[in-house]
Amino acid sequence: MEPTKSGQRVDLEPLRRVLEERFRPRDYREAQELVVGACQEAQRLFGWVPPEAAQLIAEHLGVTTNRIYGLLTFYADFRTEPPGRHFLWICHGAACYVAGAGRLVEFLQERYGITGQGTTPDGALTVHVFNGCLGVCDLAPFAQLDHHEYVGRLNLERLQALIAELQGEAQTEAADGSTE
Amino acid sequence: MGRLSDRAAFEQYAAQAEQRWETLWSGDRWVISVGISECSIAKGALETYRHLELLLSDGHIPAVLRRVGCAGWCFAEPFVEIKLPGQPPIVYGWVTTDRVPDLLDALRRGELRPEWALGVRAGESWQGIPALRDHPFLRSQRRLLLEQAGIIDPESIDDYIATGGYRAFLKALFEMTPEEVVNEVKTSNLRGRGGAGFPTGIKWESGRRTPAWPKYVVVNSHEGEPNVFKDRRLLETNPHLVLEGLLIGCYALETPHGYNYIGGEHALALRRFQKAVEQAYELGLLGDNILGSGFSCHVRVRTGGGAYICGEGSALMYAIMGQRGQPRTKPPRSVEEGLWKRPTVLNNTETFASIPAIIRNGGSWYAALGTKESTGTKLVTMQGPVRYLGVAEIELGMPMRQLIFEVFGGLRDGYRFKGVQTGGVSAGPLREEELDVPVDFDALTPLGAMLGSGGFVVFDDTVCAVDFARYLVAFSRYESCGKCTPCRLGTPALVEILDRIRHGFGRPEDLDVIQYASKHIIDLSLCGLGQVAPMPLLGMLERFREEFIEHITERRCRAGVCPMTAAAPIAS
Repeated sequence: MEPTKSGQRVDLEPLRRVLEERFRPRDYREAQELVVGACQEAQRLFGWVPPEAAQLIAEHLGVTTNRIYGLLTFYADFRTEPPGRHFLWICHGAACYVAGAGRLVEFLQERYGITGQGTTPDGALTVHVFNGCLGVCDLAPFAQLDHHEYVGRLNLERLQALIAELQGEAQTEAADGSTE
Repeated sequence: MGRLSDRAAFEQYAAQAEQRWETLWSGDRWVISVGISECSIAKGALETYRHLELLLSDGHIPAVLRRVGCAGWCFAEPFVEIKLPGQPPIVYGWVTTDRVPDLLDALRRGELRPEWALGVRAGESWQGIPALRDHPFLRSQRRLLLEQAGIIDPESIDDYIATGGYRAFLKALFEMTPEEVVNEVKTSNLRGRGGAGFPTGIKWESGRRTPAWPKYVVVNSHEGEPNVFKDRRLLETNPHLVLEGLLIGCYALETPHGYNYIGGEHALALRRFQKAVEQAYELGLLGDNILGSGFSCHVRVRTGGGAYICGEGSALMYAIMGQRGQPRTKPPRSVEEGLWKRPTVLNNTETFASIPAIIRNGGSWYAALGTKESTGTKLVTMQGPVRYLGVAEIELGMPMRQLIFEVFGGLRDGYRFKGVQTGGVSAGPLREEELDVPVDFDALTPLGAMLGSGGFVVFDDTVCAVDFARYLVAFSRYESCGKCTPCRLGTPALVEILDRIRHGFGRPEDLDVIQYASKHIIDLSLCGLGQVAPMPLLGMLERFREEFIEHITERRCRAGVCPMTAAAPIAS
């Protein structure tokens, strides 16, 4: 499903189904243990955790919305705003650092003002500098696109080319959309 | 396949599994195994697998295509192991999809393509292909946890059982009392593999002694450090081994509540472990009244959302309980008050994975491995420009020099060794002249280095010590959970000073300020992670002080990494 834009209506039905199927706590303790997992499901479905989804999870598991937002803002992986069309994880582990990932991170900061996490102004790409190790050190500096495509041995030129490609793709998609 | 009702039923099931395993390897069909793990997928292992599937689908080659886990040799991925009838299995490295047709054709013609072979799984070399165990990467390793890595299918409980799996659990369950299990672990002198090195047996014993109920046993598979990836490889390649260790742990604590907390970003490790749990339930190795013994055990898998701090024991428990993963003051220790305020034994993934071998072979057998105070084997990862990148398993006590230059093959051509960062982000580096120190829990500490969870980073002279120190401290700054002030405010202060030095605005007294501020962070932080946050900086400062001084007095970065915008007045 396409990630929803902020302000648009969110179809909660798929999330409700998942919650009812797989998130059935037997007691209040288990309910609390399941909160993070439920938020991860929401993010998998929507690309982020919209306020409506947080509300639904809170009601389903019998915790407060406050509690949900406490977790969403604590953990780096969660997004409380819709991401761009593509999502890029740039590994900032030590192996990637030694191989020059620092330069890539600086570039993102200088060119797009992205520190840690952010979206390019045209909404084509959300970049998340992954503070940890993605475990593919042989291909350092390394990035993962849309959680399934792997881009290894990055340098500044390759990263710029990749971003340009994704932005171009996004423009074409937008143009296609407007002619329909 | 239903639940097995007693030990005899298990033995029968195991005998069948062994039979099938035997037939597979002695049959008249080719056995082709492709290593599929996160790192090999990134290099196209799935494409290799699909290509093989396509080429084999015409039936010209009678073959069994299998999927196996990571075998540690990341540098040679994607790898494929091929066994022709009547020949020993040959492991081929770098089999990208374009090489697949070539390789199959050559093998059909009887050519072995030794130039692509990593080695042959046999006692000695065969037809000009050297034995795999003589490969420089493997020669000095001692593999217990990785023994079956790359051989069994991680998603098959039958493979695990056929190669001796779950026998240690059965031995504990039917032949030993929980006290005997704990004693065996104490005899082995196994120390926690997560970094602190606390003796596991003593932790289990204190868990047993605390008279509250229920108790919990938790596996810490969070692994959020920026330079370690051994736990997820272990879970990807042999999830049942960890599960068996956890089961034995639950039995020792006489509790039915087991948990595994896995970092949310380790998707494949998570999926494979979950699958292992499902298979164990189906077979009756998990659940109520396991094999009619009266012992019950339930394992729940929980995931995190990307916060380094959740690797800290108490933070991890809060994270499981669905709260923000922030540590708390100790005592009470978690063996007294942990998960849901009940006694909780928490150990690293690798610690649990070491348990089955200890139960099977006895604690004193294990204690004979490694050194006197640091027994057994340890998974280590080495990153940076080394030749054989990957996960290795060594006996503790191996000199660092041998580890870097023999097991991991030394630096690739064109790189000059400058230092090796140890202990993740929790300790300092070592220089070339200090490399003769043995890799174990105690020997590294006096040098300001640390074994930690076994993640080492080799760096060369294109890496600036100041910039590297900034990177390591900036990691701690970003990951500071914000609960206590010394860490929350201290680490940004350190980063600020380092940035000043990097840009050429450093002052000689900055080095004293670093020492002074670090002391406060170390002394006053709440949790272990805060207490060690300045360690990498202090280590770098001690080992490469001349570089820091160069940055400050000469405004020069010899590696050419730091921005050095200096010259301009600070006020701008």
